[in-house]
Amino acid sequence: MLQYFIKRIAQLVPTVLGVIFITFSLGYFGPGDPLKHQLGERLPSDPAQLERLRKHYGLDRPFHVQFSSYIGKLARGDMGISIVVQSKRPIRDMLGKALRTSVQLGGAAALIIFVLGIPLGILAAYRKNTWLDYVIVSLAALLPTVPPFVLAPLLLILFVLQLKLLPASFGWAGLFDSRAILPLIILVIGPMLIVVRQTRNSIIEALTQDYVRTARSKGVLEHKVLSRHVLKNAMIPVLTSMGFIISGLLTGSLFVESIFGIPGFGKLIYDGLRAYDYPLILGTTLVGTLIILASNLLVDLLYPFFDPRVQFG
Amino acid sequence: MKTQARSNNLWLDAFKRLVRNRMSMLALIIIVLIVLMAIFGPLLSPYDYTRQDLLNTNQGPSLEHWFGTDELGRDMFSRILWGARTALAVAFISQGISFGLGILLGSIAAYSGGWVDNAIMRFADILMSFPHLLLAIFVSATIRQPILKSFYGVYDRTGWDIFRNTVFIDYFIVFGALAAAGWPWAARLIRGQILSLREQDFVAAAQALGARHWQIIRAHLVPNAIGPIIVSFTAGFGDAMLAESSLSYLGIGIRPPGASWGAMISESLIGWRLHPHLVAVPGLVLAICVFAFNLFGDGLNDALNPRSKVR
Repeated sequence: MLQYFIKRIAQLVPTVLGVIFITFSLGYFGPGDPLKHQLGERLPSDPAQLERLRKHYGLDRPFHVQFSSYIGKLARGDMGISIVVQSKRPIRDMLGKALRTSVQLGGAAALIIFVLGIPLGILAAYRKNTWLDYVIVSLAALLPTVPPFVLAPLLLILFVLQLKLLPASFGWAGLFDSRAILPLIILVIGPMLIVVRQTRNSIIEALTQDYVRTARSKGVLEHKVLSRHVLKNAMIPVLTSMGFIISGLLTGSLFVESIFGIPGFGKLIYDGLRAYDYPLILGTTLVGTLIILASNLLVDLLYPFFDPRVQFG
Repeated sequence: MKTQARSNNLWLDAFKRLVRNRMSMLALIIIVLIVLMAIFGPLLSPYDYTRQDLLNTNQGPSLEHWFGTDELGRDMFSRILWGARTALAVAFISQGISFGLGILLGSIAAYSGGWVDNAIMRFADILMSFPHLLLAIFVSATIRQPILKSFYGVYDRTGWDIFRNTVFIDYFIVFGALAAAGWPWAARLIRGQILSLREQDFVAAAQALGARHWQIIRAHLVPNAIGPIIVSFTAGFGDAMLAESSLSYLGIGIRPPGASWGAMISESLIGWRLHPHLVAVPGLVLAICVFAFNLFGDGLNDALNPRSKVR
């Protein structure tokens, strides 16, 4: 088991380096002079002075030297400073603060997705081809394709303007505030229905397997068949979809947080884009990707607990 | 399996399965409507989609303006029609570039093997480990300046106005961003197809009979790989439309005066309380389109791979 863990973690290293390499080289060759980005209008017009500045920031060094110094800085958590959004503020601090909010929101969303999604999927599987199943399956086909920036205004119109159930509420005062309800619903609804569909399909599949028939014929109670045999096997595909779900939550938070004015990670990406704050865009892209890689690793590490066959692979 | 009248044509069988699937026929009707809207809509649109009428802004639906007017008094119905053209054109062309690159690099990887294969596929893997939209956003933010600069350079040399046209430039940036994020998936699919087909007995038989390389490609690889490619192209089409409208919503895709449903939503979002129809109409149209393409992609998948159906 330990060997498996070490192998999986070691496999991640080249990918992480590759991701850093790609973001760095796009930033190096792409958007033009980094000095212009850092200084904006205060860029000196005197070429000699410009040359001194380039030397000062190490921009005259060849690509591979700059790249290795960038890696060194990253290892110390230094991602440069924001230019426009919060001028001169280290991006690390901005990210840290934003992530504290987003982890609460995203964590709550992930919890709801699995705690509600899996039982609903089981229900649909056991009530296969009844009206309940049809409702769940059609919603699961329809809603995950609706992007958050469409869902948000539609739900605002429905809940706030038409039904008057919720106050029109923007901003953030922690998870246990009425203002968090609508953003959570919007974040949760698509991914949850994906989990429901996934659970339903894999449970229907598992129910046809021989080991279920064997267990039933030996007189094992149905709830034990479910918990001991069906669920454990059916959860493997659901677990696989977890990385995908977290990726969806991250992308969703970009829209939800910007619409509802929640000062989290997604809002930071949005602000960086709106202001064309390139170091911030680079930092959020990199950290967003590392979060996804870490969550995929977590899924990989959880596998052996659900599927004992994995550890020999 | 029940005995059926045997038909020699796999494609005809697939077509029959597709036609029998009521949901995918419904999706197909919606898709045909959207395509017609995109092609002929702008010709039929009652107003110029960029014409502003500041005396009649933010109107509700009426006989003159079926979907009302937006915050600059532009006719919403005309803008929705033009938005259909934008959405379809961007999705089609960016999917085309992604698959073109994917077919090229995927087949190079499959045929050369060794370090070339390794290099291409490792690069693709790394790109696939980025969240799709995040990569598209990052690429579009990165290539905007270089593309602007080179297009202005072309304008200086040729004097062709189109190279200063911001909407035209926006299109190229979106193509670049979506293709950069999309090609690795296509390359992986095509490489896998080629590798698994090459192991098949009929390819070995053809080789044993002395068939040339290109004969095998034409007679065996292309016809067998084309099905999965069509399925994945169609299935990705809705996602490409979503990606375009997401970029436009974020203000880095197709920007005004170009008409994009995503940009229309973001422009009208501030006024959702007073003028809900301005957000609801483009949102619903976008959602219906994406849904239709996904549904049709599923139906196509079931028709071409009848065994893969889960039920």
